[in-house]
Amino acid sequence: MMQLLYLDPGSGSYLIQVIIAAVLGVIFYFKSGWNWIKSFFVKTPPKTEEEKNESTD
Amino acid sequence: MNQPINQHPASFRDPSGFVYEHEGKVYRFVSTLYKEHYDKFQQSGLADELRKKQLLLPFTEVADNHTGKTDWYKTLEPQQLQFISYAWEWSFEQLKDAALATLSLCNYALQKGMILKDATPSNIQLVDGKCKLIDTLSFETYTEGQPWIAYRQFCECFLNPLLVTHYTGVDIHRLELAYPDGMPAAVASTLLPFKTKLKPIIYLHVHLQAKISGKQRSAQKQTSRKISKKNIEQILESLRSCIVSLSLPEQKTTWNNYYTETILSNEYLSEKKALVSSLLQELNYTSVLDLGANEGEFSLLCKPDAKVIATDFDSSCINNLYKKIRQEKRTNISPLVIDLTYPSPSMGWMNEERKAFFSRTKVDVCLALALIHHLAIAKNISFEQLAAFFASVCNTLIIEFVPKDDPKVKELLTWREDIFEGYNVEEFEKVFQEKFSLLNKIESVYTKRILFVYQKK
Repeated sequence: MMQLLYLDPGSGSYLIQVIIAAVLGVIFYFKSGWNWIKSFFVKTPPKTEEEKNESTD
Repeated sequence: MNQPINQHPASFRDPSGFVYEHEGKVYRFVSTLYKEHYDKFQQSGLADELRKKQLLLPFTEVADNHTGKTDWYKTLEPQQLQFISYAWEWSFEQLKDAALATLSLCNYALQKGMILKDATPSNIQLVDGKCKLIDTLSFETYTEGQPWIAYRQFCECFLNPLLVTHYTGVDIHRLELAYPDGMPAAVASTLLPFKTKLKPIIYLHVHLQAKISGKQRSAQKQTSRKISKKNIEQILESLRSCIVSLSLPEQKTTWNNYYTETILSNEYLSEKKALVSSLLQELNYTSVLDLGANEGEFSLLCKPDAKVIATDFDSSCINNLYKKIRQEKRTNISPLVIDLTYPSPSMGWMNEERKAFFSRTKVDVCLALALIHHLAIAKNISFEQLAAFFASVCNTLIIEFVPKDDPKVKELLTWREDIFEGYNVEEFEKVFQEKFSLLNKIESVYTKRILFVYQKK
């Protein structure tokens, strides 16, 4: 495994990914909460043909 | 067995394996070092799934070790590619599709317990109309808690240039040529307008990254926080949704709508299309190079089973052509942004990693329609140089001569001295007949332009 780390592990920018992950976590949390509230008021439009195909293939 | 193998000059960075040529075919050597990952790649079903999704260049395992190396594990024979192109020749939409394909590849890999370790456009090629990964050894086993090792590379090679082009209109192929290894976040951050700082996703992936990467590594806080698989999925999704929303800003260039808006009449265009189409039908060919293709009107007339490389130096035209072939599924056409007077150079280590454009391009038929006056008059290239050039790239040449009294040539000469005494059809024919024999000569009914079909001597 170690030999395969021929890329500088810093290339992964660990710190930035930790920060982004944390921020995105918060955004997704609020978004899903908002969508949950919204779902009571808004009828979800039916999926288009393309979306249906994407989810099945 | 012990003959030296012809290792591809761009295939030396990854110790997991390399690409080589053997008896005219390209193969991939897989080292025992990569065994664990390769087995997982096959056994988890990831390889099959990616092939079905048309995200991976198909390959088969071959039993022979052509290399004689002792750390041999597998030999792979990928689908053979006739032509390789680089990101500095691609349109905006092609780079965008390659970026989205890279994100999908990483996402599918994660679902099977693997992750993409390289995220560079040089691992992606447009094959049969789809952006596919050509580097089979780009996956490694994923360990929970690890970050995405190719994240920064992805941002530098795909996200940053796409964002800069979207917000400033700078040609994307020029950015890729200037930063072949990827545009650093700090550069993108300076080039992007202030308003992008107010967009949370762009702020995080570009501006914040620029701030953090600017600090000394030792000064960066050590963090013990692990990054979960869910976190990586969210990062991938945020990159995807950001990239999907990007587009090439509408620009009015000299060349888009050349055929629809110029003084050149509709009759002329349909006449030329009919002529070129019938000329092409008479010829036997498997490859075509359309130089100055504009939006591909004539590339689209070529046989669907012939490989067509359609080039123009106008990135907006090539972007439109890319969108057209994607929509119409004309999978035989590769639209590339090429400036004939500055074609892509050879680059990389020892100038061998990435080949120059014309060393990759030898074709049966070359189309040079409404092109010669731009090279001869706007760029002062002589007929002798042009004839030698065309003879070096093709066997059959379909070339349109645009005389001096053509409105387009007059336009070119409006603001400059006419130093082109020898620019006439007699001189043109005299020079071209030294390298080519004439097969056909057709004069246009609606303009004074003449189509010539030449066979290389």
